[in-house]
Amino acid sequence: MNRAVEPPDGTWDAGDMGCGELVLELRFRLRAMAPGSVLLLRARDPGAIEDLPAWCRMTGHALLRAQHPDYWIRRKDEPR
Amino acid sequence: MSNKFCVSLTNAKNDSDKATVAFVIANAAVASDKETVVFLSTEGVRLAVQGYADDVHEEGFAPLRELMANFVKAGGKVWVCSPCFKRRKLDENKLVAGASIVGGAKLVEFTSAGAPCVAY
Repeated sequence: MNRAVEPPDGTWDAGDMGCGELVLELRFRLRAMAPGSVLLLRARDPGAIEDLPAWCRMTGHALLRAQHPDYWIRRKDEPR
Repeated sequence: MSNKFCVSLTNAKNDSDKATVAFVIANAAVASDKETVVFLSTEGVRLAVQGYADDVHEEGFAPLRELMANFVKAGGKVWVCSPCFKRRKLDENKLVAGASIVGGAKLVEFTSAGAPCVAY
């Protein structure tokens, strides 16, 4: 999970946003990106450490690297 | 793993903390690609009326109106207990977007199909 990743296609600083608000906004933002593109998310909420890996497992988006508060997420390949 | 998720909410302004957190969790579920239903019953049905939730804003959370709008925008459904709504003499012509009035059978069908349910 902590391998080096290419430069992201987009970044989002979510600040202190957490829980359902964080993942729902993340869903909206990833859906606006092209399949296969990478978002660098900065999420300072302490719950993000457990939530974001779980969310990626459920949704199929790839968590390429996690180094709290930074998370590199690749959007899954499927029609938007 | 079930692809359905239910949030049962029985509170409105009588406990705006619970009402808010219920929609935060519902948003987590719908964001996780779950077919998500918020079932409003007893006092919770008041949230289904346009304008009611406009002044609810718990510290540390987005305004409830925004949480509810985002939930529906993401594909979430709000089901409103029919007898609970009627006994409070609320206006079924003023439902918020994404809300529909249902009876108990609708909830039973949904949860019996394997939907876990959390209650607030």
